[in-house]
Amino acid sequence: MHSSKAVFILLCASAGLAAVQAESTPPADVVISNATVMTVSHGTLEHASVWLHNGKIAGVGQKVSAPAGAVTVDATGKYVTPGIIDPHSHSALDSDVNEATSPVTPGMLMIDAFDNRDKALYQALAGGVTTELLLHGSANLIGGQAVVIKNKFGMQREAMLFPNAPRSIKFASGENPKRVYGGRNELPSTRMGNFAVMRQSFEDAKAYQAEWGAYNVKQKAGDKTAVAPHRDLKLEALTEVLEGKLYVQIHCYRSDEMLTEENLAHEYGYKLRAFHHALEAYKVAPQLAADGTAIATFADWWGYKDEAWDAIPWNAVMSMRQGVRVALKSDSNDQIRRLNQEAGKMVHYGGATEEEALRMITLNPAWIIGVDDRVGSLDTGKDADVVVWSANPLSTYARAEKVYIDGDLFFDINQPGYGTPHFDGAMHSAGDFGAADDGDAQ
Amino acid sequence: MNPRLHRGLTLATALLFSPLLGHAAGVDKVDKRSTPAAGAPHSIVLSGGKLLTVSHGTIEHGVLVMTDGKIAAVGTVGKVSVPKGAEMVDTTGMTVYPGLIDSETSLGLVEVEADASNRDLVERSDEILPQMHVYDAFHAETERIPVARLNGITNAIVAPGSDDTLPGQDIFIQLAGSSRDAMILQRDCALPLNFGSEQRRNERMEHKFPSTRMGLASQLRQALLDAQAYGVKMHAAEQKHEEWQKGGSKGEEPQFKRELKTEALLPYLAGERPVVVSASEGHDIETAMSIAQEFHLKIVLNRATHSQHILDEIAAYKVPVVFSSIYDFPLPNERYDAVYATPGLLAKRGVRVAFSSVGSSGQPSAQFTRNLPYVAGMAVAYGMPYDDALRAITLTPAEIWGVDKQLGSLDAGKTANVVVANGDPLDVRTDVKQVYIQGQAIPLVSRQTVLRDEYARPPAIP
Repeated sequence: MHSSKAVFILLCASAGLAAVQAESTPPADVVISNATVMTVSHGTLEHASVWLHNGKIAGVGQKVSAPAGAVTVDATGKYVTPGIIDPHSHSALDSDVNEATSPVTPGMLMIDAFDNRDKALYQALAGGVTTELLLHGSANLIGGQAVVIKNKFGMQREAMLFPNAPRSIKFASGENPKRVYGGRNELPSTRMGNFAVMRQSFEDAKAYQAEWGAYNVKQKAGDKTAVAPHRDLKLEALTEVLEGKLYVQIHCYRSDEMLTEENLAHEYGYKLRAFHHALEAYKVAPQLAADGTAIATFADWWGYKDEAWDAIPWNAVMSMRQGVRVALKSDSNDQIRRLNQEAGKMVHYGGATEEEALRMITLNPAWIIGVDDRVGSLDTGKDADVVVWSANPLSTYARAEKVYIDGDLFFDINQPGYGTPHFDGAMHSAGDFGAADDGDAQ
Repeated sequence: MNPRLHRGLTLATALLFSPLLGHAAGVDKVDKRSTPAAGAPHSIVLSGGKLLTVSHGTIEHGVLVMTDGKIAAVGTVGKVSVPKGAEMVDTTGMTVYPGLIDSETSLGLVEVEADASNRDLVERSDEILPQMHVYDAFHAETERIPVARLNGITNAIVAPGSDDTLPGQDIFIQLAGSSRDAMILQRDCALPLNFGSEQRRNERMEHKFPSTRMGLASQLRQALLDAQAYGVKMHAAEQKHEEWQKGGSKGEEPQFKRELKTEALLPYLAGERPVVVSASEGHDIETAMSIAQEFHLKIVLNRATHSQHILDEIAAYKVPVVFSSIYDFPLPNERYDAVYATPGLLAKRGVRVAFSSVGSSGQPSAQFTRNLPYVAGMAVAYGMPYDDALRAITLTPAEIWGVDKQLGSLDAGKTANVVVANGDPLDVRTDVKQVYIQGQAIPLVSRQTVLRDEYARPPAIP
């Protein structure tokens, strides 16, 4: 352990405080050696090593040219994968996932509610999860802007944010907004209402955009009388959707609604990044593939509500085979702890190869979040987010033994206590969110 | 899409069922309940597979003979005589194991969970409602059953929701049968007794009893005392009635007004059937167990997910434990695997452990029934011996629910509920290839396979 870090922890412990660090200082070189290395991008390598250097992956293969002083981790008999990426989590947000006081709240920023000491983050880390997209719930048609984190449990809040990750915005459709507002006898209470409210919102945004456009033209022309329009956070965010500056992540179950959402996006000229839940994607897979919209779905959840009644566990593989980019997600503090097993089910339901299955919890969710150039596979130059497993991670039997993020060890099963080298304080409990039902429905 | 749209299709596709293992289905008419065919003695022989007998180890190259719904013989290839005219099924490379038994489900009590119109899980007007009978509401044609069956679940407890202290009485079912009633193998087979914060629902309602655990406990004790007193009264009335009959039924017939709510508790007070004591936290377990012991109930302990601090105490109770859910969350500031590791620690202390598919919410969810084997696999990952874990979803629950003479292992004389899969039953990657219930090959068809096949085909109208 780095000496300054040790001193820091010691000070905190003596002061009776929880150790939350500003930044971590990983060893310069770590070599995980003689493992079955599942790269996700270029096959599975037997008796291979992964070299982590200054927080990045510096080499993957039977031979890596790490310096003599590297910390060596003997992983004989173990499996190594990239860190798991969850593109749909509501962890660490307490019950602040929905500002359900109005159906369109794009100005709500998830970062403002992020509790970096929630035990759910720790439990996910111990399941090999290194990156999460923390999303709003689905009470609102437009819930707000998400936050992307690296699961560096024990770090200060700022240090847990995924640097320069693209911004995402959460949309929702279907039963949840209908129920929340319909239950108050407000608009929307039908799917017609849902889409009518969306359309008017984008018309408002277009008008706002035009106002600013006119002002910018005047100002550029040197018109000193030009008065800047009043900034409106809601309309500003919607304008960014229209301008393609926010990735649109849509909670959507039914196939007909996916098509309507695509139509709406074409109508207003924005692009959809991914349908979340998407339990009926298998019915319209060619259309989704043509539009380049990914899905983030459950492996086998079904029947908890009407719009989940046509869910089938072959959805992910059937959609993948027709060209849709498919990710699995948790939407739950329970499921996030074993997304590797959810991926394993794809071998069972539809006969995915192990690499295809693993891609659904690594590289594909990385694409949905927009960070696939930096994480999601074991490739030289990518962030050193790496998990060492006790057994094949796609089986029921694998335990995550070591979890590295940016080259530093954040979970070690052999360490007593929590197994968290960077955390020894008191955890928060933001509730055991999202168990058997549609977690988003709150 | 209308959830009912595909209901008719299930039947049609079932009739077109083409067997995966290259033998006739053995059923000429198939419906949701998968009616076993009547007729001449019929034998099916599964030959060449690896048999996980549960009761007497693994047979690498095994033969299993099923005749007229029962297992007729189990042994090694070449050492078991095969009846003439038997239907031979090559199971080389396959794993063959007994049908799985789920010790708590909501099968047949709920279809779409968010839809109240088909949700019959639990009455919430009172905490003490032992006169509720699951068999009165059990919907045998639920689409949930074929889905669960496809992953090798052949038998299950159906229990009311755990919102009440005494929510009603369980049934033990088989996931196929000639009729609704034939699928119910045992009515009123157990009485759940739930104790914890979940039943304390009046805490926010002023002046409504019970609003604390003290209230819940006292209410429960009173109900049991009332039932004891009622039993004495009823017994006296029965004697009086007998005397009246012996005396030639002269004069006015002695009357006794039955109170079904109280009467429902009598078989349980007599220790004739198990009371399923459900509590998660250590102190709740201790309170509930002390009441159950005070009344000399026959106890099965359920939940016990936070019993890691009182393991020896649990072992000293000498009662079986239905550990559910292994996915229950650790308490704040507990290590991540505090719950995952507990079934193994219980087994190590000699506790008989069974599993259910109850999820992390603590309530059975019909969507998770099919994941029962993975619960057992998770326990293995965190230290439970494999054989104990497989037993926890086969023979141990058969013993707990009193059906181990018929179910739970591959032994001659038992009901032929048998599963054939392409690998380890506890592994998420394994695909079940055939399920036999009472010796009948169950069509591998569910509402979900129908949807899958429908959308895998090009549309009929271009």
